[in-house]
Amino acid sequence: MARAPLGDVRVLGALLCAGGFALAWAPRLWQSALGLECVATAFWVWARHSERPGEQLPRWAWLRRPASALWLAAACSIALELGGSRSSALSSVSNPFGTLRWLQSVGLLWAALELLAALPLVRSFADLPGPLDLARPWIPSALPAAGFAVLWRHADAWTSSPVMREIAIALLVVTAWLGSLRAFSRRPWEPTLRWLIVTDCAIAALLVALRLVHPLASLLLWLAAWGGKAFLLASELSGRGSRRGPLLSRTWRISSLVTSTALAWPALLTFALAPGGGARWTHFVATAVPVAIAASVTTRRLVEVPERRQVMRPQSAVSLTHVTAIVLLALAPLALGIAWWGGFEASLQAVAIGVVPTTLGVLLGRPGPEMPGLRRARETARGLYRFFVDREQWLVALLWRTLRGLSAPLRDLHAGDAQEYLLFLIGVAVFALLLPVLQ
Amino acid sequence: MSGPIGAALVPLAVLAALAAAALVLLEHDERPTRFETLLPLAPLAVLGGLLVFSPRASAGVGVLTPALVVALLARWRRDALQTECALKLLWTSGVAVAISWAGVQLLALATATPVTGERWTVLALGLGSRLLWSDALALALVAGVVLLGTAPFHFWVADLFHGARAWVAPMAVATLQAAGLVWLARETAGIAAFEDGHRFASDALSIAAGTSLVAGALTLLWQKRPERRVGTLASLQGALALTWFASGSLGEEPASLAPFLGTWSAHAVLALSGAGLLARHLPVTARPSDPPPVLFRRHPVAGVSGLYALASLAGVPGTPGAFLWLEAGREAAAANHGWLVLGVAIAWLAATGVAVQLAREAFGVAVRTPPPASAVPVRLRAALGVSGAGLLALVAARVVLRG
Repeated sequence: MARAPLGDVRVLGALLCAGGFALAWAPRLWQSALGLECVATAFWVWARHSERPGEQLPRWAWLRRPASALWLAAACSIALELGGSRSSALSSVSNPFGTLRWLQSVGLLWAALELLAALPLVRSFADLPGPLDLARPWIPSALPAAGFAVLWRHADAWTSSPVMREIAIALLVVTAWLGSLRAFSRRPWEPTLRWLIVTDCAIAALLVALRLVHPLASLLLWLAAWGGKAFLLASELSGRGSRRGPLLSRTWRISSLVTSTALAWPALLTFALAPGGGARWTHFVATAVPVAIAASVTTRRLVEVPERRQVMRPQSAVSLTHVTAIVLLALAPLALGIAWWGGFEASLQAVAIGVVPTTLGVLLGRPGPEMPGLRRARETARGLYRFFVDREQWLVALLWRTLRGLSAPLRDLHAGDAQEYLLFLIGVAVFALLLPVLQ
Repeated sequence: MSGPIGAALVPLAVLAALAAAALVLLEHDERPTRFETLLPLAPLAVLGGLLVFSPRASAGVGVLTPALVVALLARWRRDALQTECALKLLWTSGVAVAISWAGVQLLALATATPVTGERWTVLALGLGSRLLWSDALALALVAGVVLLGTAPFHFWVADLFHGARAWVAPMAVATLQAAGLVWLARETAGIAAFEDGHRFASDALSIAAGTSLVAGALTLLWQKRPERRVGTLASLQGALALTWFASGSLGEEPASLAPFLGTWSAHAVLALSGAGLLARHLPVTARPSDPPPVLFRRHPVAGVSGLYALASLAGVPGTPGAFLWLEAGREAAAANHGWLVLGVAIAWLAATGVAVQLAREAFGVAVRTPPPASAVPVRLRAALGVSGAGLLALVAARVVLRG
């Protein structure tokens, strides 16, 4: 690793990334945009100093897109403040300030959903290790967290529009599906964990979109689920510490299952039993399946690793790893308690319905000899994921090619030689055409 | 920035830009009498100063400015690119001024007076035909919009940065754009007295500003050559000036333009000098895995100084250019021109995106081999430093004034 003028680039990148992540939670949109810009810059700094910059730089170049989208949202927000508009009518597109509000929520959602792998542009970033040599497998797990931070912090700016909420809900359910399918189909534990993080973050964002529970409750539920997986991923880099010994591996398995179940539970409950005809069984099934798959993967794969050391180092019976698992486990009921305090109540039947997908997943994924058909199921999951992602990327490419084709004449006008006189004539003609419009 | 002091920065900025131009000229030009070549820049600077300090300057100044720039470019008639620039500028500005002159004469015909202020009083009495005055007014504004270099008339600015010599283009573009703004101010002075005409001119200029912001942003994303990108950023500066003018200052006396025009010109001439020179040292087609160019491998401080000028053109926060972008957006918002605010936001997004991309290409990937033996000449580095220091001085002046 080379030394940059400002010191070790690892430190510089880490400072930028940590600062950016902290800013993503800031109350003003421009501060969050600055945060995402810092995260993008950190990835760029790491990538240009990595062993294979030619591979890493293009891989993480997309990170400027969410930052730009959030800058656009921030610019709209500032313009709205300057304009002094107090109107919250998002639908009135004829009103310029209504359009600005609409554009602000589009920019915000774009930035957050792209970081959550919920847009068809870069679904597969969780498959790939990051640019920092020391923590390659862990780094990408921070991106969905940044996406959730933006969505949660600025929830008021986008959840007030029913259209935006419905679009976000649909995209997040699809992301939860794809994340769980990919987690199930990957053999190595590290990418599987990254995909489980994507699934959890998508479900957490679903909670925000549905406005089900108190914001603090949704934050704590997300923190418990994401924090657990992120800690597991980090411990994989340092000797798989969280899977050493039967007690530790069992504690982490229970913690992961409980936090993920608690996270999905309010959404499942609402989809199944919302009063006043608000229940949506298709959404319930669509959310329950990834929850069950994720529970199955966690149960089956989060198992004790064999100890290879002959002589054990002396260490305390209760380590930081134990404490973290228990604290995260305790966060889930605490968050649900806050949700209940805030008015989210459920009957015993509802509680049971919310737990069914996880129970099914645990039963299907219980450790033991490989079940018949598991390999085939894994190949099917891989095929389904690839089929979906390939098709959407084909659609995006088609759209891009069409746009390029349509704009080719405009580019030809700008060849830089004498034919640009034509542009001048067109400009004058446009000016002339505007006259009758203005009259 | 407060008016008189904002305007007082212009001579300092012009001096700094002239020093940068002289350094570049000393490095590049092969003529034995180099300063003879630099001399024509002096009248251009004087003309620019006249436009800034005395926006009442006669319409002849608006005609004289392009003529002088064309003459300056034509001095190197064997240089094909520069001659092409001169021809294009002659054609474009010549036709535009002719069209506008016809418009002004039509207005005089419709109102029976050649005095701008009196025309609106006559028209306010309902004595003129709407078709005649609206057509004439629109035509009268064409030269201002063209000289500002706003899209779709933005090609001449990019051409100038691409084809003309590095020390000519910044001063020429800044002066021509200042002339464009003064032209618009002169032709619409006192139009507030004629409500229909004010509304018509405001709508026409707002549409022109919005179109130029969005078209400029799109052009910026399509372009590949760094010089042309700097040219389009310069045209966006013209679009910002137009936005500011159309939103808040239409119909005011030209003299009231001086504070804004001073700040705007001082920034433009310095930022364009630095960014234009930097563009010559950036790769035209850079892949992500390419090493940085010589400037950034051997002289990163000078390179960063040039990047600061580029960032200022793009309105990156922390640069003097950011205040101009914000001011234009604020004026548009205050005038309830929501679409114009949106245009400013889109253009700013494209501009900052391109600035970040160019900065990343400039730094390239980390290289472990020793830098190349050939260095970037010290005079060029000094020119980059002068423009960067000038821009920092603008920020410091603003901070001190606000404090």
